[in-house]
Amino acid sequence: MVFIFGVNFNEQKLVKKALESFYALGPQTSARILAKYCIHPRAKMGTLPPKTLTALTAELSTMTIEGDARRIVQDNIKRLRDMGTYRGRRHAMGLPARGQRTKNQVETAKKLNRVERRG
Amino acid sequence: MSAPNCLRCLVRPSAGIPSSTAPRTAAHAAARTAAPLAPLAPLAPLVPRSAPFSTTAANARPKKEAQGKDSSKGHVRAGKRLTLGKFKKDRVAEKGRPPAPGERKAYRKRITLSNDNAIAVPWLTDLSPTDLADPANIAKVLALPDEVQDQLRASEAFKPTQCWGMFRKPAVLVRKETVDVMSRMQASVAKRQTLRLALTGDKVSGKSMTLLQAMTHAFLNNWIVIHLPEAQELTTACTEYAPVPGTEPAQYMQPVYVLKLIQAIKRANEKVLAKTYTVSAHPELPQNIPANTPLLALANVAKEPDAAWPVFQALWSELTAQGANRPPILFSLDGLAHVMKVSDYRSPAFELIHAHDLALIRLFADALGGGVQFPAGGAVLAATSRSNAPRAPSMELALAQREAEQAARQKGDVSKDGSKAGVPQRDPFFRGYDDRVEAVLRSVQVLRLGGIDKLEARALMEYWAASGMLRATVDEKTVSEKWTLAGNGVLGEMERATLLTARV
Repeated sequence: MVFIFGVNFNEQKLVKKALESFYALGPQTSARILAKYCIHPRAKMGTLPPKTLTALTAELSTMTIEGDARRIVQDNIKRLRDMGTYRGRRHAMGLPARGQRTKNQVETAKKLNRVERRG
Repeated sequence: MSAPNCLRCLVRPSAGIPSSTAPRTAAHAAARTAAPLAPLAPLAPLVPRSAPFSTTAANARPKKEAQGKDSSKGHVRAGKRLTLGKFKKDRVAEKGRPPAPGERKAYRKRITLSNDNAIAVPWLTDLSPTDLADPANIAKVLALPDEVQDQLRASEAFKPTQCWGMFRKPAVLVRKETVDVMSRMQASVAKRQTLRLALTGDKVSGKSMTLLQAMTHAFLNNWIVIHLPEAQELTTACTEYAPVPGTEPAQYMQPVYVLKLIQAIKRANEKVLAKTYTVSAHPELPQNIPANTPLLALANVAKEPDAAWPVFQALWSELTAQGANRPPILFSLDGLAHVMKVSDYRSPAFELIHAHDLALIRLFADALGGGVQFPAGGAVLAATSRSNAPRAPSMELALAQREAEQAARQKGDVSKDGSKAGVPQRDPFFRGYDDRVEAVLRSVQVLRLGGIDKLEARALMEYWAASGMLRATVDEKTVSEKWTLAGNGVLGEMERATLLTARV
């Protein structure tokens, strides 16, 4: 098992996939991080030397990912709600905010549109 | 393992299928009514009605009547039957242990060099050191000695797609091109020069096999062989890389691959390396190597990927040390197009790295471009691949140019004007050319491999027949038939036409 940024990963996991498992870190960013530390795209977690692992953790700790990135989204929603906008109210009600129908197919909105949005 | 008789028709191949039964039975009846004692034989058609082979085997075969369909019964009304537990999922059959990681790949990539079921060929002789360069051996099949087999296997010269596993003992056909390459190698070593040659040609025309023969020749003559079996392993970003410290612009080493390469070199060239000694000390390595140590000990220092590249550099500098007593060196690579392009690796600045900035490939490119002098001469060989090759327009252009120049030189055309009609030029409207690639390939020799001639084809087919893999009389007709089917003797196509068909 290998630790990066406080998370435990299997040694067989691709480094690219492990990086992309963090919230707000997608393919573009992960490719750039890999290139920065000279890790080839098919590298597995088990092959990384400890030095690279600490460097990756340090790199990730400077980025806006996970909780920080979630908080930005939540703050944005909260701001809308506090201003009393339609989008803010729809978020508070857990309904679609952009004019979608609500007769059926609102599961995605119910799941995502909350003031304390999960992700 | 193939069945001794054809599974489609259950007729032994030697039995001979009676030709066109219906007209014959009619003729029989007529003959019987007219003259009961008349001999039947002359009534059989003397001239075969069709060609002995067909290029549309599956479609041309007469359709068999549908079997098992009994039309007399008609529709069967079974009614609705009670099935208990029909909503239960089907029981999953016990699957047993799944293959361990890497096991499937190992099975896919395994190399079988002998087959005990194949018949041993009595007249097959082992190769001797001079055999491959001897024009008297053209159109002969000769076996690889056991020791050389091990060396070739260690340097991964055999490929899983080649048909070694069909015969008792691995053997190679000596063709004109083989003797050509080997005699060029010998001539360059006699002059202490380096032969720089690119092998090119159609699909399955025997480029990798010629490379294998060159390696065999080298091993038999106590050369040192460094072989990069698949260039794509180096450039498709599937092995570790790291910048080499202190290089500007940055070069990149591939420690894991280089470690594997050093171990392969060590295993393949053990005897020669044990008899070759270092000329200078190498204090920078993890284990201090004083002067006059066997190169084998130097190669043994590489135990970890971290130390692999410095050790390889030390080994290379020792092998190319001028004035030292060194054996000739063969440096070869298969899949040239992969190293003549921009690789899939990215630099820390997220720019793609050119393959020639990867240190190991740069070494090869330098050698191929003529930048390295081997102390006792040697050869740098590169084989292109047609089935697994990315687009490398500059490489193709450069090889075509060299080929045209060689042809012009052979004709006695001495004018060196590049703008001649014969030599292909760059397309002015295409931007994908690569100057670095063209610089490397500016002075290489090019050998184009084509089909073998009928004499060689016959020798090969006689060997196949003697091994029990070809169950037909090898006469002029069979040889020309297979030779024609194989696109005028393309070696791999001959194998496909003869050995790899299911019709035994």
